[in-house]
Amino acid sequence: MSKISLKVVYYGPAMSGKTTNLLQLHGQLNPQRKGEVMIMETRDDRTLFFDMLPIGFKREQEIDLRIKLYTVPGQVEHDSTRKAVLSRADGIIFVADSQLSQQENNAISFENLADNLLKVGLDIEKIPLTIQFNKRDLGRIVSEETLEGRWLNTPWWPLTLSSALKGQGTAETFEQLLQRLYPAVDREHALSSRHGITQKTFLEHLTQSSDY
Amino acid sequence: MFDARDDLTLEELLLPSQVDSAIALLSRLCGTDVKLLHEPNSKATAVEFNLEIVAWLGGDLPEQQRMAAAKLMETLLFHAGKYRLAANLHHNATEANYEQLKQQHAALQASEARYRALSESLQERVDSQIAVIRDSQQKLYESARLRAVGQLAAGMAHEINTPVGFIASNLRTAQEYLSEIEEAIKGEPSPHEVLEDFQCLLTECLDGAARITNIIKDIRAFANIDQTDYRVFDLNDLVRTSVQLVTSELQPCSPITLELAPLPKLPGHPARVGQAIYNAVNNALRALSDDGEVVVTTRLVDEMVEITISDNGHGMGEEILSRAFEPFFTTRDVGVGAGLGLSVVRDVAMDHQGQVLLTSQEGQGSRLVLLLPIARASI
Repeated sequence: MSKISLKVVYYGPAMSGKTTNLLQLHGQLNPQRKGEVMIMETRDDRTLFFDMLPIGFKREQEIDLRIKLYTVPGQVEHDSTRKAVLSRADGIIFVADSQLSQQENNAISFENLADNLLKVGLDIEKIPLTIQFNKRDLGRIVSEETLEGRWLNTPWWPLTLSSALKGQGTAETFEQLLQRLYPAVDREHALSSRHGITQKTFLEHLTQSSDY
Repeated sequence: MFDARDDLTLEELLLPSQVDSAIALLSRLCGTDVKLLHEPNSKATAVEFNLEIVAWLGGDLPEQQRMAAAKLMETLLFHAGKYRLAANLHHNATEANYEQLKQQHAALQASEARYRALSESLQERVDSQIAVIRDSQQKLYESARLRAVGQLAAGMAHEINTPVGFIASNLRTAQEYLSEIEEAIKGEPSPHEVLEDFQCLLTECLDGAARITNIIKDIRAFANIDQTDYRVFDLNDLVRTSVQLVTSELQPCSPITLELAPLPKLPGHPARVGQAIYNAVNNALRALSDDGEVVVTTRLVDEMVEITISDNGHGMGEEILSRAFEPFFTTRDVGVGAGLGLSVVRDVAMDHQGQVLLTSQEGQGSRLVLLLPIARASI
């Protein structure tokens, strides 16, 4: 039986909504297998070490695929923890804060992501990465036109927009990441040729309940 | 380095004693013995951590009850695991930080060592450069001396020109006179006055020639191309020549007074001693204001000849006085003085087993005493 263990990391500046994303996914997703959300936060709602949600699917005698969804602490001072969580990541979801006042922090965090990926031997240009602009429900946010102008010519376009607190866009973000993640996993583990798992089934198994 | 495994085994999650006490409590709750198994059987329920089966809970009890017991066990493991994962991550992050600090420390030490090595070799390089500069300064000074000789030769040529000029002119006149004499002899028997004048002209010519000879002698004494020439010489003559050379370079009316006592001849390098006297007198002259005076005296003191050069110039302060003999120390503007004048005086005194004493008071003038032995001690 093939056992595949993947790691997806929610990265981004402090208080951009990474943990909220994870909690919403836990409530909304209905993958074949779903564990408990491990939340480690301080009293002021800040993640201390990481949060973690394991999901997966299994076919008896054939394949046991698990994805652990991690969040990192966004505060600047927790850089070594971020690096530790980032190590051996298979995919990244960057949760940016849409508020105009937070654009600088987004940029700093994104640069920090690129730096840390390099330090743990990964390349931001190659790793499957989805960028989510969260908190779309707030006023004084960066416009979609501005985002398009800024990101259109990057490998990560289109971005996803969300209001994680209201449960909007979190599942779509995760699905987009799965779509970008599938080719890499398929290349390495021959999902379609050996196990007959297409991108569609891959997505279905990890987001909706199935009969397996 | 950052690898934090998140699939933990039962042993990694709980201590055996913790497992035992949990199982004992569960058994009591269920009213029958339950136990954790490594292999599944028909009466066992999987216990998972992070979707991974870590054990099977077996016991002879209804399935609902067994599942509840397994769930309770999972809850226990979940919270134990939460702590364990956080602790592992923290440990790894701390280790990584420490590792990074050590590397930075090593890099810092290496760079410090590099800089230290550089600064050491820098000192060596600076020292050798200083030696080179001193050497070339010395050579420059020597060549300055040669230049002085050159200037001297130019002055000499000028001095010679005048007597040679009137010699030539007088000789031309003499020729004319001679022809006149010839004319006159034809008519008159005694050309008395003409002959007398002719005699004077010849005397003057001889005098001019004598002056040329003397000047050339002076120049040769000072320039003294044979630097190594070691012989017995007359110090007073040397003083006169040196002073004459200094003043001819400076002003038309000399502010120098000579008080020379009769001296025995002494052995040495006249050229070098001459240079020392020249330097000392030159220094004294440069310290003078408009109505200043320099007095050069020589006298015999025991077995030594004493040359004193004193002036009533601006003098020196303590600090300058203490450094006056240092090579390359100068108070003159850059390019004017090499700072070697007095150091040469001292070198010459030492070469001749003599002494040099310098006293000075700011605003009052300076006094330099050079003592040279009459009989040189055998070395």
